[in-house]
Amino acid sequence: MRALPHLKQFTEVAEQEIMHSGHVACPGCGAAIAMRLALKTLGRRTIIVFPACCWAVIDGPFPYSACSVPVFQVAFETASISAGAIRAGLDITGKKDINVVAWAGDGGTFDIGFGQLSACAERNDNIIYVCYDNEAYMNTGIQRSSATPWGSWTTTTPGTDFKKERKKNLLEIMAAHRIPYAATTTVAYPDDLIRKFRKAMSIDGFKLIHIFSPCPPGHKALEKDSILESRYAVESRVFPLYEVEHGTHYKLSMDPPQRPVRDYLALQGRFKHLTDEQRDFIQKSTDEEWARLMHFMKVSEAVE
Amino acid sequence: MSQKPIIYKSWRELPLMTASMGDTTVNKTGSWRNVEPHHVEQVAPCSLRCPAGNDVVGFVTLAAAGKLEEAWHLLAETTPFPGTCGRVCPHPCETECNRDHLGGAINIHSVERYIADYFMDKPPEQKPGTFSGKHVAVIGSGPAGLSCAYHLKRFGHAATVFEAHSKAGGMLRVGIPDYRLPPEVLDAEIRRIIDLGVEIITGSRVGKDVSFDQLVHKFDAVFAAVGFTNSRPLGAEGDDGDDVVPGIEVLRKINLGMDDGVGNKPLVVGGGNTAMDVARSLLRKGKDVSVIYRRTRYEMPAIAEEIDELLAEGIEITFLATPVEVLRENGKMTGVKCIRMKLGEPDASGRRRPVPIEGSEYVIEADCVITAIGETTDLEFLPDDIRAKTSWNIPADELGRTAFDKLYAGGDVADGAGTVTAAIGYGRRAAIAIDAAFRGKPVADNAAMSPSLRERTGYAIPFEEINTAYFEDLPRSEPGSLKVSERIKTLDEVHQGFSEADLEKEAKRCFSCGTCPACDNCYIFCPDAAISKVKDDKNKLYLVDIEYCKGCGICAAECPRGCIVMKAVR
Repeated sequence: MRALPHLKQFTEVAEQEIMHSGHVACPGCGAAIAMRLALKTLGRRTIIVFPACCWAVIDGPFPYSACSVPVFQVAFETASISAGAIRAGLDITGKKDINVVAWAGDGGTFDIGFGQLSACAERNDNIIYVCYDNEAYMNTGIQRSSATPWGSWTTTTPGTDFKKERKKNLLEIMAAHRIPYAATTTVAYPDDLIRKFRKAMSIDGFKLIHIFSPCPPGHKALEKDSILESRYAVESRVFPLYEVEHGTHYKLSMDPPQRPVRDYLALQGRFKHLTDEQRDFIQKSTDEEWARLMHFMKVSEAVE
Repeated sequence: MSQKPIIYKSWRELPLMTASMGDTTVNKTGSWRNVEPHHVEQVAPCSLRCPAGNDVVGFVTLAAAGKLEEAWHLLAETTPFPGTCGRVCPHPCETECNRDHLGGAINIHSVERYIADYFMDKPPEQKPGTFSGKHVAVIGSGPAGLSCAYHLKRFGHAATVFEAHSKAGGMLRVGIPDYRLPPEVLDAEIRRIIDLGVEIITGSRVGKDVSFDQLVHKFDAVFAAVGFTNSRPLGAEGDDGDDVVPGIEVLRKINLGMDDGVGNKPLVVGGGNTAMDVARSLLRKGKDVSVIYRRTRYEMPAIAEEIDELLAEGIEITFLATPVEVLRENGKMTGVKCIRMKLGEPDASGRRRPVPIEGSEYVIEADCVITAIGETTDLEFLPDDIRAKTSWNIPADELGRTAFDKLYAGGDVADGAGTVTAAIGYGRRAAIAIDAAFRGKPVADNAAMSPSLRERTGYAIPFEEINTAYFEDLPRSEPGSLKVSERIKTLDEVHQGFSEADLEKEAKRCFSCGTCPACDNCYIFCPDAAISKVKDDKNKLYLVDIEYCKGCGICAAECPRGCIVMKAVR
């Protein structure tokens, strides 16, 4: 009387457990869920490159590693080019079936590794670049990054000096490089995440996957609410899920019924200082961004 | 603290590059935890509210998976009357259903009815328990009596049912009109009970054809389930004529295919199910029937749907009035003098007491009066010594045990609950108590529940524990029913059953509150890979590796149906 097929919510995820227990991510870490699902999809023929980021720590102290695939720990700004170099080496030795993944946080992607990322994308190196975005330098003590959204508290934007600059739009920047594949995804939708990794694996060239990854200590949210926060980010359109092929073809992955941004903000202590007007402002700018994205979708459809 | 000596190594002794030699499973991160998840299967509110003790989530989800035979067997654990209950039960399960907050309650009664109807002509084989040598007499073949006999037989005891009427079924047979419960359905379900090996002796009234003392002497136990048999008198002037008849008497005649013996303009007095049933039956016989009730619609004890259907069929209910005198001319009724009422203080039942308004008498035209203002028991069959210690009922605990040797009682004669399902549940609990007494074992606390639910520890998942992100907002399906213009002409069944497509659609809407269907959410979302799937274990689907669980609680938060609870680490 068990296992009633109609009540299955998600497609089967692979049983192989490549990311091991015992890693040192905080309880409820979104990045750990993302890595676990990504590795299940990528399989054992994978090489990962970590720049300085949470995952450089999460992976465990020497001589242990949470991921039972080869992992390279590289300098902060070099995730993309290191991965590109590993790919070049593999290509020379004729090993074509290995996924090379650069796995960087938002600091290593939006700020410090940004120049190399752009260069690597321009050269169209055959790698999967994953940015797990927890919207600040969480690992070093929650300092602001250019991925931190408007209105957010961090230790470098405390109190009334909350961040007054908007978040960089990484996908638009990468789309402007006309890379073969760029996509956003998040941990609350495993089907979507797995599908996008599968798609990235099947494409030659530079692929970027931008994962919204809730961070309970950094977002001042409850550990148990990581998936809820991730889901609300999509439902409130703060973090829409879409893909861009060849920099021009935009495709929306899902369009759930809209939820007010307030619901998303309310889950996180980093927004608790915001006044009603400021919350309305975030709603307004979210709606504008969404309208802009819809415009891209429309243009893409017209081109097709 | 002793200082560790520093060991110096030459570059030759160091590896070419630092490479990890092992994985992090050496790091027991479970020590970070202060709460831990427990997979706990709980009982859904529908199952908890079912008076018959059915495992509602169990049979609905099995039906959704297309496993109809398994669903039938699960229902057979608790009730021999799924086809009957699927039709006439006021379904308190649906009132409690958590789906009510998202698209409407699951149409549970139609699912139950579909399962029963699917196997109506050819029920799956059922075997009685190994014969224990004990023999029980059951007085009355209503839902309580037959349910008790059925379960006793399943437990391995012989059961003989004594029925005063010529046909078995009790109130199901004579009290419920054919348009609600077709006789073929009842016949099939009673046949199933007989096929199991229950003996039913019809036309044998205990107290007349066979004495109560004989039964006590001859059988190892006696279960009295005689139900409500007598109508309460009207209490109006001139209510002793032949043209003032009890409602259950009229229903009995109609149900047994006899002439109803009622005039052309009957006035039904009362607001309960009997009043609704008799009025609607008489309408179908072409009578110009109307109903009078002394309180308002809000206080009517009848099933709300029955009242709606009665009104839809064009029968008028006069509220806040009651008959005070039957008017006759030359021995023939010409009308009924009634008085208007108003509502006063609440009475013992919690409903507001009707108070007559003086001087407000008026006359309603009628040629006969049918009383349906409540029924009561007839305990004349009991010997005087027991009779002296009973009141209107035979006092019994919820397991049917009475203060008297060998005597058990259940159904309306014990609690007066007045619904088929309550009687079925009472019969089953009594059978469990009788079985326990025979075997000299105590009765478990949760004996009233379906055996499939007894090992569960938590109860009644509230809607707040359902994670609605995993369910679509789909509307409830209703099966078709006969049009009013058609149904008032015949005694054909008003409501139809589900089609196969409807059944699947509706059963799949079930949240399956508290029952883990192995959706894998906890496994998928665990950031620490600490939850693994268990294969080849019937009782366990997932295993939490406590050595690595950091206690984040994502599994409990993302469980769609409240099957995981977080408990503090001791």
